[in-house]
Amino acid sequence: MQLQKKHISKYFAKFTFRVSCLVLLGVSILSCRSYVLDDAQFDLRDSFTEGNYQYSEQLLKEFRQKDIYRSKDQVLFNLESGMIYHFSGKYDSSSVFLTKAENEIDENHTKSISRGISAFLTNDNKLAYDGEPYEDVYLNTFKALNYMHLQNWDAALVETRRMTFKMEQLDIKIKGLAEAFAKSDTSSKANWETGKVNIQNSALSHYMAAVLYAKSGNIDGARIEREKLDIALKEQATLSTFRVRPNENFDQLQNPDSYNVLLTGFTGRAPYKVQKDARAFIDDFDDEDDNEFYLKFSFPELKVYPSNVNYVRAVINDSIKTHLNLIEEMDMVATEVYSAKQPVIYARALVRATSKSAGTKLIAGAVRKKNEWLADFLQLLGFISQEATEKADLRGWQTMPGKAWMHIIKLPAGLNTVRLEYIGTQGKTLYFDEFEVDIRPDTELELVESIYAN
Amino acid sequence: MKYSLLTALLVSFLLTGCKPSQKVSRIDPGTTTDLSGKWNDTDARLVAEEMIEDVMTKPWLDQFNRKNQKPPVVIVGRVRNESMEHIDTEVFTKELERSFVNSGEISVVANSEERREIREERLDQQTNASYATTKKMAQELGADFMMIGNISSIVDEAIDSRTLAVFYTVNLEFVNVETNQKVWIGNKKIKKLIERKHYRGLP
Repeated sequence: MQLQKKHISKYFAKFTFRVSCLVLLGVSILSCRSYVLDDAQFDLRDSFTEGNYQYSEQLLKEFRQKDIYRSKDQVLFNLESGMIYHFSGKYDSSSVFLTKAENEIDENHTKSISRGISAFLTNDNKLAYDGEPYEDVYLNTFKALNYMHLQNWDAALVETRRMTFKMEQLDIKIKGLAEAFAKSDTSSKANWETGKVNIQNSALSHYMAAVLYAKSGNIDGARIEREKLDIALKEQATLSTFRVRPNENFDQLQNPDSYNVLLTGFTGRAPYKVQKDARAFIDDFDDEDDNEFYLKFSFPELKVYPSNVNYVRAVINDSIKTHLNLIEEMDMVATEVYSAKQPVIYARALVRATSKSAGTKLIAGAVRKKNEWLADFLQLLGFISQEATEKADLRGWQTMPGKAWMHIIKLPAGLNTVRLEYIGTQGKTLYFDEFEVDIRPDTELELVESIYAN
Repeated sequence: MKYSLLTALLVSFLLTGCKPSQKVSRIDPGTTTDLSGKWNDTDARLVAEEMIEDVMTKPWLDQFNRKNQKPPVVIVGRVRNESMEHIDTEVFTKELERSFVNSGEISVVANSEERREIREERLDQQTNASYATTKKMAQELGADFMMIGNISSIVDEAIDSRTLAVFYTVNLEFVNVETNQKVWIGNKKIKKLIERKHYRGLP
């Protein structure tokens, strides 16, 4: 009898192993789509970092044709397109894509509660991406710069105002999100709390707004923005030890006659998301059979990409050298904003994982009374399916830079050469971009912009 | 019988599937169509209607006519957009211009953008047009007043984002070009309550 049991158990193990392999293969094929997008995002980030915008544009089109960026990833597609077109000098197209992304973020954010519940059951990659709150803020930066390149100060100011408004609303937005989840979570297993957003001002938006107000003749508006810039810089100084308080007297921003060129340099890359997994066998003390159940949950964590650039300087007409001020560490602001949302992400991942485990345990428990082998098999399937389907949502805006540097200067009338140099920690020039800036008698403001995404 | 029924069903499905999903119809331009809650043609129309009514009935016009025995000449200056939306102010300023010109009570001269093009044409005529048809230089009609203004907005959003209140205030002013005196200030306020049926669902 003992021998027979042993034989059956051996046979069952063999059988379940084979079936499990097949199931695992099937589930893996089905869930690999989100990994394909992760890879595509890496490729895009690499080509953009190399400054090969034409190839990035081509790559994006190719991904679209292959349906890698699907309709649920439309926000991402538009954000990436907006940035690639921006740095290719196609400002009108860039604004079109970024506006689309902004509208879609807003639409996806107000999806029905039924979508919220489905987010508890499947992995987040299956849901429409509605942008991180910091992405929603910084897309307006590039729209503002687009309008500045097109010499449309009023429209650029609209964008800086939107940035300011969104920054002020961040805390409310994240709290609103937690509240919506708490309402739809009937399991009451998670604590739907959020962290506090300590950043409510964007120095970058205030710097740009001060310049724009001054150049539009609204000197009082420029003064107010300059004061807000000071507050924002103090607020953001707490985020990083890297930041050195700029020596520049920002009062110059209020005097539109004292400058005719805005130098802008972007360095580094957007923070990237990495998957963190937590696995545990949990004892169910309420269960008479004292069965353990398996729990795996995955969540994204934001990592800052370290930049090689120590500072950015401008060389004017091969003689005058001037440093650009580090106005905003977009990557640090992004991390701070994300950390406030992180408890909500954990809570949701936990609720989702426990729902999946509880479902498997419930079915297996019901089957166990009739057929123990089948129950074991179902539990094994549940285990495999958790391993295969639980995947953190690593989607994010890949082409967003990490840091923004700015400086205003007055160039003499005529043709000037401006070289923006990106200097590394060893004092070596890592990269430079050269521009010819034509200053005419009627030139109000020229925007010189460059990026070194390393 | 079975096959013909199936074929008929298939054809009807195909025909339904081939039907265009987009429907376009002409509607009265005066119809209110609030789709997104953003600034739209109805807002521009409301501003234009109120401003036209106000500017034509306020005492400044009679006072000017009595004193000068001619209609005032107005140039449309800049209407600043100080809101958080991209608003084309020309939609309602053109409406105002049209009313001024058609009423005959206020004359309008070309604005700086339009003037540049006309001046180029006039200059071109000096060398290329026949003597009899060449328009004279320095004969432009100087404006008595400049119309300037601004649009500001305040957005108030509920914590759950289901309710949004947007307040717009539009100011238009007539400033005497010679003395800087403001002879008329018109204001139109618009407040919108946007209620979104759905919750915020996703991070």
